[in-house]
Amino acid sequence: MKILLKIAWRNIWRNKGRSAALLTAIVIGLWAGVLTVGLMTGLLDQRIDNLIDSEIAHLQVHHPEFREEHRPEMVLPDVTELIEWLDDHESVRSYTARSIVEGMFQSPVKTSGVRIMGVDPDRERKTTTFHENIVSGDYVDVDIRNPVILGLELAEEHNIEIGHRIVLTFEQLDGDLASAAFNVSGFFRSGSTQYDRGNVIVNLTDLQALLSEEPVFHEIAVVLHDIEEAESAVMAINEQFDGLVAQTWDQLSPELGTLVLLGSFMLFIVTMVIMIALAFGILNTMLMALFERIREIGMLISIGMSRIRVFFMIVLEAVMLTISGAVIGMALAWGTILILNREGVDLAIFAGGIEEIGWPTVIYPAITMGEFFSITLVVITMTLLATLYPAYKAFRVNPMEVEKDT
Amino acid sequence: MAVIRTEKICKVYNPDTIPVHALKDVSIQVEKGEFTSLVGPSGSGKTTLLNMLGALDMPSSGKSFIGDVEVTRLSDRERIRFRLHNIGFVFQHYNLIPVFTARENVSFIMMLQGVGQRELLERADELLESVGLGDRKDARPHELSGGQQQRVAVARALASKPRFILADEPTANLDTKAAMNLLDIMEKMNEEQEVTFIFSTHDQRVIKRARRVVTLVDGAVHSDETTAVDSAVKDNQ
Ligand SMILES: Nc1ncnc2c1ncn2[C@@H]1O[C@H](COP(=O)(O)OP(=O)(O)OP(=O)(O)O)[C@@H](O)[C@H]1O
Ligand SMILES: [Mg+2]
Repeated sequence: MKILLKIAWRNIWRNKGRSAALLTAIVIGLWAGVLTVGLMTGLLDQRIDNLIDSEIAHLQVHHPEFREEHRPEMVLPDVTELIEWLDDHESVRSYTARSIVEGMFQSPVKTSGVRIMGVDPDRERKTTTFHENIVSGDYVDVDIRNPVILGLELAEEHNIEIGHRIVLTFEQLDGDLASAAFNVSGFFRSGSTQYDRGNVIVNLTDLQALLSEEPVFHEIAVVLHDIEEAESAVMAINEQFDGLVAQTWDQLSPELGTLVLLGSFMLFIVTMVIMIALAFGILNTMLMALFERIREIGMLISIGMSRIRVFFMIVLEAVMLTISGAVIGMALAWGTILILNREGVDLAIFAGGIEEIGWPTVIYPAITMGEFFSITLVVITMTLLATLYPAYKAFRVNPMEVEKDT
Repeated sequence: MAVIRTEKICKVYNPDTIPVHALKDVSIQVEKGEFTSLVGPSGSGKTTLLNMLGALDMPSSGKSFIGDVEVTRLSDRERIRFRLHNIGFVFQHYNLIPVFTARENVSFIMMLQGVGQRELLERADELLESVGLGDRKDARPHELSGGQQQRVAVARALASKPRFILADEPTANLDTKAAMNLLDIMEKMNEEQEVTFIFSTHDQRVIKRARRVVTLVDGAVHSDETTAVDSAVKDNQ
């Protein structure tokens, strides 16, 4: 074994250019792999965090059929008990109650269908980050009558500026239609054009006054101290209360789950392509190195070196290169991720496209230890697999090759 | 008992396409301590026969014995192991390990044999001194002349304490001085340590110094002559 290590080590230094090329390939393969995964994970995490933080929160409570039917009368039954429960529970950081109806948005220009959400500005501020989405004007706690804020897209479609008056029409709890004038106090931009086109936000009390005599709620969004506790909190609420249903963020937004799946699939493809390129590069280099040494290997087998030792001599060469490459590559990749995670990667060039579907344009790549080490493992495995064939070729060399003239 | 004995060895290359009958019923025997050269025109089968004697290749028919082992019955793996412990090789192109120093090249084969570190270094130094390279032990092959490299190769062949040494045209790439110097060393080992040498050659100067000359023509033994070399003849050279 010692002798194999020695000969393999010396052989690495024999053709420095080639070894350097191989080392570079491994380093770049690893670096590119880690970076791809990091960017993708960062992108997904941010998108998910953004949705969770700005509106969904960690869990929500609704009337059991509200999420399918969206009828105004599907309100939460007597919420005082639930509110008490939320106030008492230590795992709950904050919560906010909302009223939501679907209705018509009418401006002098035209009419659009929108979802009207009534929020309690104080509680909403404590619970979600939606207020950070406001790009101009004021939130719905501004001191004017019936303030409303809309997405920039909707405002542009309707040619609306702050201070303009629009009309919202929707069904009341008893089935009659209500129409009321609202004053535009601000514009928001959530990151998803689709969302910005279809949602308006008003003050909870204003909306409740129009919906029924009694204050009603359609949704309570809850933020916990730890998102991991969402499941157990949801179970506790569902067990304790009748006539309502609590759901975790991933149940509320199944498209997030799909997104994660799709992301990992794309990731798989990209890493595979990188790894296969790496493997072929290594295979090629090792084969070249081998063909140059056929006579020498013939000599080794002639004088009595066993074929299995020859095989391991070649594998060891690759192992040593791979390990060095892996160490350098890991350090480089980790460093790059650390820096980019702080600085962010601006995808402004593609922003038009990804903004449309609500993706962030500045990405902060992140990678878990698990992902990091599995990529390293994949690179090492690929390299070793790619040396099996050259090593097998060496294993099969005919000792009489030693006599061939060059 | 003979160190090597072959019984009616035949070798046919490409039996299925254009068969080449490289060896035809070759039966020879080499005793311990011989200094034998294998001669014959190009293509007469010298290399082919040496490959058979060295258990590097298998004959198409016939048997070959080294000591009391019938090497033609051994598997590829067994033959590699057998070569390691029983046969020394010297090649025309020296074929040293380029990344190893002279000393490491000589030690290498002993490491493969599992010889202990101390004994191995001592023996490597001793051998290098005996081939006149005591002062070039740490040189890599590319730092040595052809003659010096071939002397390292002889030291390497001896290192494994083989039953005999096979050399296919060992002097073909050497100038006269280096060739004669190599022959001197081989002869000295033959005389002092009774090392058996079998070497092929085209070189008249080398043939002259062999005790026994086996001539191959068209794959068959054409003549086999043993000359009594006395010291008087040798001194005249
Ligand atoms: N691997 C091979 N495949 C086919 N034919 C071969 C092979 N090796 C040798 N031969 C043929 O066998 C015959 C004997 O070749 P061999 O190499 O043994 O001759 P040689 O006496 O060593 O010649 P030289 O003096 O040129 O080295 C030649 O006709 C050669 O062409
Ligand atoms: Mg030949």
